[in-house]
Amino acid sequence: MSLSYLLRRLGGAIPLLLGISVILFAIIHLAPGGPLDMYLENPSVSPEAIEQMRTAYGLDQPVPVQYFLWLKSMLAGDWGYSIRTGKPVLSEILNRLGPTLQLSGLALGFAFIVAMPLGVISATRRGSKLDTGLTLFSFAGISTPVFWMALLFQLLFSVQLGWLPSAGYQSVGDGSLVDRLRHLVMPATVLSFAIIASWSRYIRSGMVDVLNQDYIRTAYAKGRTEIGVVVLHALRNAMIPAVTVIAVDFATIISGAVITETVFAWPGIGRLFMEAMDGRDYPILMGLMMLGSFGIVLANVIADVTYAALDPRIRYG
Amino acid sequence: MADLTREAGETLATTAPPQSYWRRVRKRFMRHKPAVFGLCFLVLMAIVVVFGPFVLPYGFDQQDYDLIGLPGPMNAEHWLGTDQLGRDATTRLIYGGRVSLAVGLAGALVATFLGTLIGALAGFYRGWVDTILMRFTDIMLSIPPLPLVLLLSSLFRPSPPLLVGIIGGLIWMGTARLVRSQFLALREREFVEAARALGASGPRLIVRHILPNAIGPITVAATLAVGSAIMTESALSFLGFGILPPTPSWGNLLNAASPWLSTAPWLAIAPGLCILLTVLSVNFLGDGLRDAMEPRE
Amino acid sequence: MTTKITRRDALKGLAVSAAALTTMRVLPASAQSVGGTLNVGLTYEIDTMNPYSTGFLGDAQATVLEGLLAPDENASYVPVLAKEVPTLENGGITLNEDGSKMTITYHLRDDVKWHDGEPFTSADVKFTWEAVKNPDFIAESKSGTEDIESIETPDDYTVICHYNGLAPDFASTLFTFGILPKHHLEGVDLNTSDFNETPLGTGPFKVTDYQAGQYVVVERNELYWGRAENGDQLPYIERIVFKMITDSNTLMTQLRSGELNLVVQTPLAQASQVRDMNGLELINAPLLAWHHLTFNFASKASLQDVTVRRAIAHAMNRDPLIRTLGGFPSPIKSPVVPVFEFYDDTVPEYAFDVEAANKMLDDAGYARGGDGIREKDGERLSYNFMVQAGRADDENLQQVMMAQLQAIGIEAVPDNKTGVALREARYNGDYDLYYGRWITSADPDYSIFWGTDGAINGQGYSNPELDAVFTELQNTLDKTKRYELFSKMQHIIVDDLPSLPLLLLTAAIAKTTELNNFVPNPTNMTNFVHTGEWYLKS
Repeated sequence: MSLSYLLRRLGGAIPLLLGISVILFAIIHLAPGGPLDMYLENPSVSPEAIEQMRTAYGLDQPVPVQYFLWLKSMLAGDWGYSIRTGKPVLSEILNRLGPTLQLSGLALGFAFIVAMPLGVISATRRGSKLDTGLTLFSFAGISTPVFWMALLFQLLFSVQLGWLPSAGYQSVGDGSLVDRLRHLVMPATVLSFAIIASWSRYIRSGMVDVLNQDYIRTAYAKGRTEIGVVVLHALRNAMIPAVTVIAVDFATIISGAVITETVFAWPGIGRLFMEAMDGRDYPILMGLMMLGSFGIVLANVIADVTYAALDPRIRYG
Repeated sequence: MADLTREAGETLATTAPPQSYWRRVRKRFMRHKPAVFGLCFLVLMAIVVVFGPFVLPYGFDQQDYDLIGLPGPMNAEHWLGTDQLGRDATTRLIYGGRVSLAVGLAGALVATFLGTLIGALAGFYRGWVDTILMRFTDIMLSIPPLPLVLLLSSLFRPSPPLLVGIIGGLIWMGTARLVRSQFLALREREFVEAARALGASGPRLIVRHILPNAIGPITVAATLAVGSAIMTESALSFLGFGILPPTPSWGNLLNAASPWLSTAPWLAIAPGLCILLTVLSVNFLGDGLRDAMEPRE
Repeated sequence: MTTKITRRDALKGLAVSAAALTTMRVLPASAQSVGGTLNVGLTYEIDTMNPYSTGFLGDAQATVLEGLLAPDENASYVPVLAKEVPTLENGGITLNEDGSKMTITYHLRDDVKWHDGEPFTSADVKFTWEAVKNPDFIAESKSGTEDIESIETPDDYTVICHYNGLAPDFASTLFTFGILPKHHLEGVDLNTSDFNETPLGTGPFKVTDYQAGQYVVVERNELYWGRAENGDQLPYIERIVFKMITDSNTLMTQLRSGELNLVVQTPLAQASQVRDMNGLELINAPLLAWHHLTFNFASKASLQDVTVRRAIAHAMNRDPLIRTLGGFPSPIKSPVVPVFEFYDDTVPEYAFDVEAANKMLDDAGYARGGDGIREKDGERLSYNFMVQAGRADDENLQQVMMAQLQAIGIEAVPDNKTGVALREARYNGDYDLYYGRWITSADPDYSIFWGTDGAINGQGYSNPELDAVFTELQNTLDKTKRYELFSKMQHIIVDDLPSLPLLLLTAAIAKTTELNNFVPNPTNMTNFVHTGEWYLKS
């Protein structure tokens, strides 16, 4: 893999992002109604004042013009201002990004730690009852509605057992790590469930393919212990197909975060998204959707590049 | 689910399916026990939701004014109790299944149609058609799906048919990529060349000659799309953006039951379990169909 | 409260005081002591702490910023930063020669300090008017600013406001929401200032922690001017935490687990779940809000037919509706609710009678089609029915009403909206039936709802006879005559039914038994106005 390949992949992402922004902008701005309609009911805000605001926000321009104005300032690093709070979109998003990163980071880490051994065990004990059980489990994992699981967890761990706080980010005045983790553990587990299910399947199938290959048989013949063989030779190659699903998982995480944050009152960008939808806060919605899409595009590039790096057989000119 | 379809894209149908092919498919399918279970469960579920409402003594929106206020307990008259408006929860669960399954099937049909159309055009004509369609597919794949569905639903407040359209319009991309790769390979095969030599035109080649040979992977993808569509609908309805009460769907039943989680948990457990088992069955079925139609060895 | 009732609606009319609500003040018991934390659950997310720009009712804001006046538990105005409520009698309000313009003089307290120790003066009051009036300031509540022509401040503690007309509702706007500190905000862009998160006020509490989307912590202001009757320095409570919990299930769970000890808007349907809990009490506090079913006159021909509207009135059984809301509300028949003096008990009642309703429709030629839904002149009686989406209480009520309409052969199709889309639909008349709530006022000049040019008449209703009554009301000060006119108004509305009054709403306030001196405030926005005297005692 070369640097020029990386650059080319990144360059290819630019028209993609432009296309995404056109579609999103069109959907958001062509919908009936608008963010300033909330002032229509307010007798103390005169029609002239609304017109003034419309001009101030550039909402009086034709949509294509609005789009280019938006694009221009976006490229200059100005994401616009929230119509509800008047604060810069970027700072509104950054304020909420931390909790979401904590939540999804822990969920991903948790998924990695659990899925890896599950996949490996499944593959090495192929056809055993354990393998069948784990396969069924992963099927169940991708078939379980996130919101339902979230409700069941709340019912069990908060309502019935009283072990964990039902929702929220932290107890007020208690910013301790333990308190944070107590709030984090339930949403993170729920969010990781579907990822564990999908990853363990990919790692399993990757492992099965690799274990059948000649060089592994050779390694066996050389008398290494089973664990050593698995870890040293197989896992690295088994990871290759799994890496390609990073991008899909990124989308799963974003979607899961919207639901999980709603159910667990987690103050992340998923909640911000729901609030912005309620208030038709176009700049925030546009910013969040673009950020999410950018994340997916970036994850795709990383997946391709990692794929190339992990698999020495692949050469990109 | 999407991850399962991706694998399917890597295998190719070999020849035009002869008669014995289907016999082998059936044989292989019957060996896949989870898939057989899934098929049986889905058939059973379909029978229940289609015929159940005719047998049940209550209407889905029939309220017992004496019971309004709180969810009622489970008893012989009301197997799953009544909801907060004095309606029979069993009836609503079954009727909700009808709605959720219908939206799921219809959404999957839309997605399969769109995916097949776009994939076939891109794979058959290649060149700029392919470039444009596949860039569009890439764009659609890069926008976070659930937020996009939520955005569309909240901005346009869709009626159920439009909802089906929105759901189908957002899950076709996997199918499109799959069909395209099938077409790219198949269009070079001898039987296509032969038909072309005999003067078959583009559309005729696509529909008569190539499509039948790609039917296996498309069936698998369509099956799995049903699962995606059901999940999407239930998530939307759960968040209050999908099917509106009093018409029940499994998603909005869960939404309505969540306030009573501590006093009447069964109201929330039942619809969730139905979604889980149905989607699980669909995924088993899809896995079984793949194994049967596209043997890997 | 997630409904956006602008405070103009909420407070308009309360200026004319004397509500007949029972006082719920708890007399100070034994020794109060300073200390304790009160965890309050809010059902909405605070958007800004600036009371002029928030789109919600200013609960947390009221503990930090004070106005010159505030409505008390009887919905009458009492002085806060002013020494007395200006009236014609005490000379606070004077009229010009022809009685067309008024001048209001406020005498301010001279012992008030801002949270930073600076003295509060008349300059702050004048600055507040100028700042809110400034067209660059984007605000939800600019009411009243345009009514004032000029403000004089002859000395530090006197404010003279010259109005450009008569403003009987002056107390419900502007200076009641809160006074802004001139020394802190002069030259600052209020749209983006950090004042929106950590405002500097004169109130009993000051913001010490603002976490967007999570909570706002306010702590005891030691410089507070307020004194209790026994001379104690107020406030008693050390800290109030306002937690924003939009999910009603989470709200209930946290009440049960003790994480919250005061919720002033407990979801009615679920409130009974905490009724018997140790350490909590449920107060059924009257609100000046009522529920109505509103008909759109501009959409369906059948809805312009009073027979259809009356038949619908007969089809409504209020009892299941009340039970859907946990049994809290009470039925009403007039849009002027019974607690007020202008209520007329002689207005007729549309008794629940499905048979009568069906007969009315049959006689009027609305024949049932094959599916049981009536039709006339090619129009099927199928209506788009809107309530606020995502609000479980309203959506449940909607379903009960849909079943009741079904019983008389009318189909209602839910078409629920939320946020901006809801308001847009309300004011553009993008619905056939709308179930909503309005805050009523003691001086029920309802021209805003049903006047042909009413500011929030989105239903296209126009009735010259009613308009005439409204005009006459606006030009009549004689009380006896006003009684007559209000009676006439109620009879016209109940007879012609532009909207069907259904329920008088109450707030289910869940509070810890440790909280004393809490006085529910029916104005639905000022439960937190008199927090200084609250105290916690175990």
